[in-house]
Amino acid sequence: MATATSPQTVAPGGKPAKVRKDRSRTFWDKLYSTAFIMPIMIVFIALTVIPLIQTFYFSLTDYNGSSQEIHFVGFQNYSEVLASSELSQGLYFTLLFAFMHTIFTTVLAIPLAVTLNKRFFMRNFSRSMFFFLGVPSMAILGLVWRYIFSPLPNGAFNQLLGIFGAEPQPWLADATMAQWAIIFVSVWAGVGWHATLYIAYLQAIPGDLYEQAQIDGASSRQQFFHITLPQLVPAIVVSTFLLMTGGLKVYDMPFAMTGGGPGYATNTVTQSIVIQGVAQSQWGIGSALGVMFMLASLVVVMLQMFAARLISQRFA
Amino acid sequence: MADNTLIPDVVDPLTKKKKSKKPPTTRRGKEERVRYWVRSAIVLSITAVVMLPLYYIFVSTFKTQTEMALKPFALPESWSLSNYVTVFTTLPVGQAFLNTLIVTVTAVFLQVFIGSLAAYGMILRKSWFTAAVGSILLIGFTIPVQATLIPVYRLGAKLDLTNSLLGLVIVYMGSSVFCYFLIVGYMRKLPMELIEAARIDGAGPWTIYWRIVLPLIRPILTTVVVFQTLATWNDFLWPNILLVSNDKRTIVLQVFNAISEFTTDWPLFMTITVIALVPVMVFFVFTQRWIVAGLISGSVKG
Repeated sequence: MATATSPQTVAPGGKPAKVRKDRSRTFWDKLYSTAFIMPIMIVFIALTVIPLIQTFYFSLTDYNGSSQEIHFVGFQNYSEVLASSELSQGLYFTLLFAFMHTIFTTVLAIPLAVTLNKRFFMRNFSRSMFFFLGVPSMAILGLVWRYIFSPLPNGAFNQLLGIFGAEPQPWLADATMAQWAIIFVSVWAGVGWHATLYIAYLQAIPGDLYEQAQIDGASSRQQFFHITLPQLVPAIVVSTFLLMTGGLKVYDMPFAMTGGGPGYATNTVTQSIVIQGVAQSQWGIGSALGVMFMLASLVVVMLQMFAARLISQRFA
Repeated sequence: MADNTLIPDVVDPLTKKKKSKKPPTTRRGKEERVRYWVRSAIVLSITAVVMLPLYYIFVSTFKTQTEMALKPFALPESWSLSNYVTVFTTLPVGQAFLNTLIVTVTAVFLQVFIGSLAAYGMILRKSWFTAAVGSILLIGFTIPVQATLIPVYRLGAKLDLTNSLLGLVIVYMGSSVFCYFLIVGYMRKLPMELIEAARIDGAGPWTIYWRIVLPLIRPILTTVVVFQTLATWNDFLWPNILLVSNDKRTIVLQVFNAISEFTTDWPLFMTITVIALVPVMVFFVFTQRWIVAGLISGSVKG
């Protein structure tokens, strides 16, 4: 199926086929191409472009969803978001979650992938089990962990700790503990998925690199840091990008585990927007939060891509 | 599931030899064999610890409340199915599955159809128009859901599409853009000669799309369908915002609702969890090959 020529058809004489086309065909191409692109443009304009413009617009008004009069209030909504501890807490926790989730998942997924890539008994079963945890709904897994982390002495986790003589802890009732519990659970669920991604890249590393290193007397630690890790840089870039963008969107898992509590400690931006925009009809404030968060995540993602480029250049 | 090879690795990177299923038996292999079993023991115990929550959920469904509270990790005294009977008789589980199935099938079909059609339209000709559309879609792709959530909800309310499965499907159609990106990257690698040849034979663009392009891009279509099916089936955000009444709930929302229904009855809650997880598990067993393929192919393009 593969041909020696470039993917574009080349007419005899080396000139692109375009020249050969007659007018009517160009017309039909144009018509069909536009017609085929139309549905996605309609969907995109209706569900992204117009809503985005509306979000910007609402964020500058006091619109509350029901009143007929819309007043232009400038940046008042923005300052209100910053002043409200509930809303700024959401910004803080979402960023904390995105960063910690990315860091811990990556740091655990790479050694896990290296281990799962070695030979051992029931390897495919273990791989599948780790991988499976990333498949079910995060909302459902979060709800289950809410029970496991029950503060009562007969909560599963507290009972397990009891075996080692530890006192029962109010896992989800303490602000800091709840934040880390959520991060822990999402790392638990996501690490196998990302390890699978790394395994795919590990298997593409040429074996002679290790052979050569062994002849040169490199320890397995040195091999890991000087061969495996640099070779995994493309995988790290992809995996952390997925983790970061996914982490910034987080909603299901924290909401399922704590409902945003205690207080607003585990409130996420998405949850705040849902509460403001849907439950309380504070469209202006919800929209301002949306705009601010969009800018914040744009900065985070761009910084990350910049860092990824630097690292890739260093090791490429 | 154990036989289902996640990633088929043919050659061992260390020895460059085909791997044998059994640990090596040569003399030098003796040390290696010990290492093999030590490693197996370590990895399998880690796996067991990580899987403990799944085990806990499963065994709890056969216990009474007291039994679950007193011996959370022990095997149930009797494997009674009464929790399952209670869940099926108190909650509209069947309806919830049906709703999720209808929404997922319709939404994924539309996403993939719109996405692949647009991808074909894009490679059909190159012009300032297709270039502009391509870059606009790319910019739009990076906009987080939070930024458009309120107006999209408002649109749904305006069109009277809240509490309707149709509204949910329409919202999910936004993911066509994601499908388009995965598909267009693959489509650009297709040999254009095939399309050109079909044209000379007199096939119209629609016929070419349906009869030639779609069968050719089957690998990426499978991947996209598998990914989008999981994403749509598991979504909680939109059902939570849009759906109100009991008979419209998707399965994830139904599980969420069960938490208030069975406030203190943990075994009942774990039972509905298991019921909700079974289809996902079955789907996973049959599709993990393609999920992995998708992870890799999607990531190569970044």
